[in-house]
Amino acid sequence: MGILEINQLHKRFGQHEVLKGLEMDVPEHSIFGLVGQNGAGKTTTMKIILGLLKPDSGSVTVCGEKVAYGETKTNRHIGFLPDVPEFYGYMTAREYLKLCGEITGLSQTKTKVRSEELLELVGLKNEKKRIGSFSRGMKQRLGIAQALLNEPKLLICDEPTSSLDPIGRKEILDILLAAKGKTTVLFSTHILSDVERICDRIAVLHGGKLALYGTLAEVKQRHRYNGFVLEFENVETAAIFAKSKELQHPSISTTRSGNTVTVLLTGCDLDGHFFLDVLAQKRIVPLKFVALEPTLESLFLEVVQ
Amino acid sequence: MTGYLAFLKKEIFEYAKTYKLLILLVVFAVFGITNPLVAKLLPEILGSLVADGITITMPKATAYDAWTQFFKNATQMGLILTVILFSGVLSSELSKGTLVILLTKGLSRTAVILAKYTCMALLWTASIALCFGLTYVYTHYLFPADKVSNLPFSVFCLWLFGMFLLAVLLLSAVLTKSSYGCLLLTGAAVVACLLVNIIPAAHRYNPISLVTDKMGLIKNTIAVSSLFGAVFIAFLLALLFVSLAVLIFRKKQL
Amino acid sequence: MDLAMLREYLPLLIPLVILQFALGITALIHVLRHPAYRFGNKVMWVIIVVFIQIIGPIIYFTLGRGED
Ligand SMILES: Nc1ncnc2c1ncn2[C@@H]1O[C@H](COP(=O)(O)OP(=O)(O)O)[C@@H](O)[C@H]1O
Ligand SMILES: [Mg+2]
Repeated sequence: MGILEINQLHKRFGQHEVLKGLEMDVPEHSIFGLVGQNGAGKTTTMKIILGLLKPDSGSVTVCGEKVAYGETKTNRHIGFLPDVPEFYGYMTAREYLKLCGEITGLSQTKTKVRSEELLELVGLKNEKKRIGSFSRGMKQRLGIAQALLNEPKLLICDEPTSSLDPIGRKEILDILLAAKGKTTVLFSTHILSDVERICDRIAVLHGGKLALYGTLAEVKQRHRYNGFVLEFENVETAAIFAKSKELQHPSISTTRSGNTVTVLLTGCDLDGHFFLDVLAQKRIVPLKFVALEPTLESLFLEVVQ
Repeated sequence: MTGYLAFLKKEIFEYAKTYKLLILLVVFAVFGITNPLVAKLLPEILGSLVADGITITMPKATAYDAWTQFFKNATQMGLILTVILFSGVLSSELSKGTLVILLTKGLSRTAVILAKYTCMALLWTASIALCFGLTYVYTHYLFPADKVSNLPFSVFCLWLFGMFLLAVLLLSAVLTKSSYGCLLLTGAAVVACLLVNIIPAAHRYNPISLVTDKMGLIKNTIAVSSLFGAVFIAFLLALLFVSLAVLIFRKKQL
Repeated sequence: MDLAMLREYLPLLIPLVILQFALGITALIHVLRHPAYRFGNKVMWVIIVVFIQIIGPIIYFTLGRGED
C-alpha cells in the first residue's frame, strides 16, 4: 500500500480544467519526482493533498486516512515546503521552529533537540538574524527544517530548487537525499536533471493526468526507442549513408547533423541488422554505431507534445 | 487546543513585535490621564486667558466632565484606532501566505480564528482597563467629592460594544481579502447600526445604544435596565459573528 | 496658566510626559536602526517622531515602518 494514494482527482478553475482524473500512488521510502511544465497543476495537486484546496471530485488518502478539505488532521503525517515559503519576518529561525513544535504538540525538549539537529542539517545553526532579512535560499532551507520537524512520514516539497542558484540547488537536493532514509519524499520540479540526480520514481503530469509514471529504469525501458546514432569519418560519408535509397522507407526517419546520423524506426520489424546490411553494401565503416538511449528530456518532450 | 494556545501566544508576540501593543497601550494610557486633567484644567486655563474687563463665568468642572471626556475619547478615537490597528488581522497573513505552513502542521482553522479573536479581545480589554483605571485614579484625586452613577455598568457597555465591533471586524476580515475591505465593511456595519437607530422601537435592542446612551447612564437619566436588550443582542451578535467567521474561514480556499 | 497652578498639577503631568518620551524615544531608536521605510527618508521620520508628540510615533509605526 502506498503512503499517498490519489484516485480520479478532478479540479477546475472556472473554465480551465487543471486536473482531469489524476491517479497516483507513492510507495513508502521513495523519492518521488513530480515533473510538469509551469501550469501543469503540480501546486494544485499538492494543495489538494494538504486539504488547502477542494477537489471537484476524486479522493486522496494519506497513510490510509482520507483527506478532508478544510481540515488538517491528515497533515500530521506530512511535512510541507510551499513553492514560496513565507514566515513571520519578526521571528528568528529558532523562534519559528518553536512555534511549529508547539502547534504540532511536540514537547519542549523534543522541539529544542530537533530544532538544533535540523538547523545543523540545513546549515542555519549560527543564524541569529530575523527571518525578515533571510535570502531566498535561506528561507528555502528553513522551510525544509520546518517540514521535517515532526518527523513526517511524507515530505512534500513544491519546486524546492526552482529559484535557486546551482550551489543552493545542490544543497537542497543533498538535504532531500539525506531525508530519504527516514521519510518518503514527493517533490515537484520542472528541472529534469534534479530528478535524475535524486529520484527513484518519476511521474510526469501533463494534460491533467500522469503522462508517464514508474521508476526511472522502468520508464526508460518502456520508452526505449528503436533507433541508432551513427557517426562517420566525414560529412560526405554521412550524407551518402543518410541519402541512400534503402533508407527512404516510410517507417524510418533519418536526421543528419554534420557527420552524425540519427535513424529512428517506428512500427516495423526492421532492426539493427538492416542498417548493418546497408553499411556493408555501401562498404562504409562508421566510427560509432550505438543504440539510442532515451534521455529523460527526450521522454519528457515526447509525452508533453 | 495546543494549537490554539500556541497560535494565541504567537499573536500576542506579533502585536508586541510590530509595536501595535505599545501604541494601543500608550494611547489609551494617555487618554486615561488627559481625560480628567483636561476636564479640570481647561476651564481654569480659559478663565486665566480672558482679557481684563470681560468676565466669562466658567461652570466649575466636575467628575462628570472627566467621565464625559473618557467616554468620548474611548468610543471615538479609541475604538477607531483599535479597529485600524486590527484591520490587518487576517489580510496580512492571507496575502503573504504565512498561514499555509502552520495549517499544514496541523493547526486547525477554527483555532486560527478563535485565537485571533481572543487576542484582539485581550488587547482591547487591557487597553480599556488601563484607560479606565488611570481616569478613575486621577478623577478621584482631582474631584474627590463628586460621584457619578452607574459607572461600572457604562464601562461594561463600552467594553461589550468593543467586543461586538471586534467580532464584526473579524467577520469582515474573513469575508474580504484586504485590510481596506475589512475597514470598509466594519464602518458600514457601524453606519447600519446608526441607521437602525432611526426606528425608535429598535433603539432598545441596538448594540450601538451601548455607546450612545452612556452619558445618560452616568447622569442617571437613563435606567440601567433600558439597556439590557442591547446588551443581550450585542452579546448574541458577537457570538454569531465569530461563529460565522469560523464557519466561513473553514471553507475558504487558501 | 500661572506658576502656582503649574506647581500644583506638575506631579499629575509627569506620567504623561514620561509616556510621550517613552513612545518618542522607542520610535526614534527604531527610525535610526531600521533605515528601510515604506516611504519617506530618515530625516523626515526623525522630525516627525521627535516633534509631533504621540501622533508622530503612531504614524511612523503604523504607516512608515518598513518590513523587518
Ligand atoms: N486559485 C486559482 N484560480 C484560478 N486559476 C488557478 C488558481 N490556482 C492555479 N490556477 C491555474 O491552474 C493551473 C495550474 O496551476 P499550478 O498548479 O500552480 O501549476 P504548477 O504548480 O504545475 O506550475 C494554472 O494554469 C493556473 O493558472
Ligand atoms: Mg507551482
